[in-house]
Amino acid sequence: MMKKELKIKSNKTNQQKQKRTNPLANVFDDFIDFCQSKSLFMLHYCTGCGAIELPPAMTSRFDMERLGIQPMVTPRQADILLVTGYVSVKTLKRVILTYEQMQAPKYVIGICSCTVNGGMYWQSYATAKKLNEYMPVDVYIAGCMPRPEAVLEGLNRLKNNIKNDRKEQKGSAWKDYYKNYDYYLGNQQNLFGKEWQTPVDVIAEAKLYGLEGEGTYGENTKKLKMVQHPLLPQEMKL
Amino acid sequence: MSFVEIISELVLMPLIAFVVGLMMVLMMRKISARLQRRIGPPFFQPIYDIVKLYGKDTQVSHGLIHDIGIVMAVGGYIGAEILLPVPGMEGIADKGGIITLSYFLMIPSLGMALGVGQCANPNGSIGISRALTAMLAYDIPFIIVVFGAAWHYESTSLIGMIEYQQANAWGIIEMPFLAIAGLFALQGMLGKQPFEIYIAPAEIATGPMVEMSGKYMGGLFVMQTFQLYTAGVLYASLFLGGGESWLDLLPKAFLVVAIPMSIAFLFPRYKTEDLIRILWKWPVMLALIGLAFIL
Ligand code: SF4
Repeated sequence: MMKKELKIKSNKTNQQKQKRTNPLANVFDDFIDFCQSKSLFMLHYCTGCGAIELPPAMTSRFDMERLGIQPMVTPRQADILLVTGYVSVKTLKRVILTYEQMQAPKYVIGICSCTVNGGMYWQSYATAKKLNEYMPVDVYIAGCMPRPEAVLEGLNRLKNNIKNDRKEQKGSAWKDYYKNYDYYLGNQQNLFGKEWQTPVDVIAEAKLYGLEGEGTYGENTKKLKMVQHPLLPQEMKL
Repeated sequence: MSFVEIISELVLMPLIAFVVGLMMVLMMRKISARLQRRIGPPFFQPIYDIVKLYGKDTQVSHGLIHDIGIVMAVGGYIGAEILLPVPGMEGIADKGGIITLSYFLMIPSLGMALGVGQCANPNGSIGISRALTAMLAYDIPFIIVVFGAAWHYESTSLIGMIEYQQANAWGIIEMPFLAIAGLFALQGMLGKQPFEIYIAPAEIATGPMVEMSGKYMGGLFVMQTFQLYTAGVLYASLFLGGGESWLDLLPKAFLVVAIPMSIAFLFPRYKTEDLIRILWKWPVMLALIGLAFIL
């Protein structure tokens, strides 16, 4: 059976974005941060009705491309995950799978009140209420539904956060997923059951980035270890 | 030519190609924006994109062949650049000629096929099989056009062709049918709508690029700049008399690239079998008629 190995290489040995001593390296880092804030590829996961405000934000009326933001179609290529609207339990699984496949640095934007606190689906049995219990969210754009101006405002705020990342330690919500993996995993397990696991080995990635923290391990990761089975490629069947 | 001169040309030619290619990418995006009544990206957007992609923290490699595939994809075009004579620089164009160049232009597709094969993503495999099918489709008119041009100019060297055109008339005046067929082939070669079967974002999620991320995607962005430059300059050298100076060549190259782009954003795309049918029918017919006139 063919065995495929995913090798994940890391650019910098220590991923903590801290000022380096070499002045040239600083200039270089700043330049990369600047480019990162100027060029954002987004993956819009159109889960709910809020998605309807994205076409006007992208096309001729508001034109996102002038801000350097353009849509991409796979999680591998994308920087931002836009979750547009209520996430049902079934959808949330897919959102998490997608989020874990994205390449760091990655950002999540929750559009619509439904991602903030459940919105008008507060009493629904099938809807996940708060998105940031399951994955770190960078920016929330509230409203039912927010107008394209608000969407662009939120994206601009994210861009500023990325540019000032090193100074103010903003825009690094993705690191929180590694540092507090136990918390997020626990919430996911509560919702999806004890058998829940994803193809991505988050703990190994946390080690690789040097982002292991107090919260990376805990009760829930122990539970995961018990049920986790290694991922093998599926057999070809006709 | 001295050794130092040759080496400096071999470095300079791809570098110039890269910079001009970046402008062409910008032009492409601006054209699409203007056709849709948008403002379009800022001036340095292509550079931001490439730097951002190379600066990503995670770089997922699927193995050695994946890495080599991308190197082949970019390297094939770099090889093509030094075979493409430009004003003031000939590189090794006098050693190669148009036949070597056509072979070099196939390397990137094959490199992508290799690299994507190891990603083991079904969308990628569909994409690459479509890309190779498209190559089969556009290469037949392209080869007829190249053969016709070489026959007409009595030379397979691009330098000879450009000299002939500058002494006599431009190729597009002497062989209009071949020039039109060449434009068709160009549209297929650039993979633009309506022949955009292998990218097809809404259908197979950008096909070959589906598993590419970080620097691999950056490599493909760099490849695209080279691709546009090669297409523009090659067509200009074949039919528009090359250029005596950069001021002469660059407008021609930009014009040539702007034509497929303006057509592209007005059309949806064909199905794979329709693409082959249409590329083997109209451009081949035009090219054969053109060939009959000059033989
Ligand atoms: S906030 Fe309103 S518009 Fe947005 S997903 Fe919820 S119900 Fe729909």
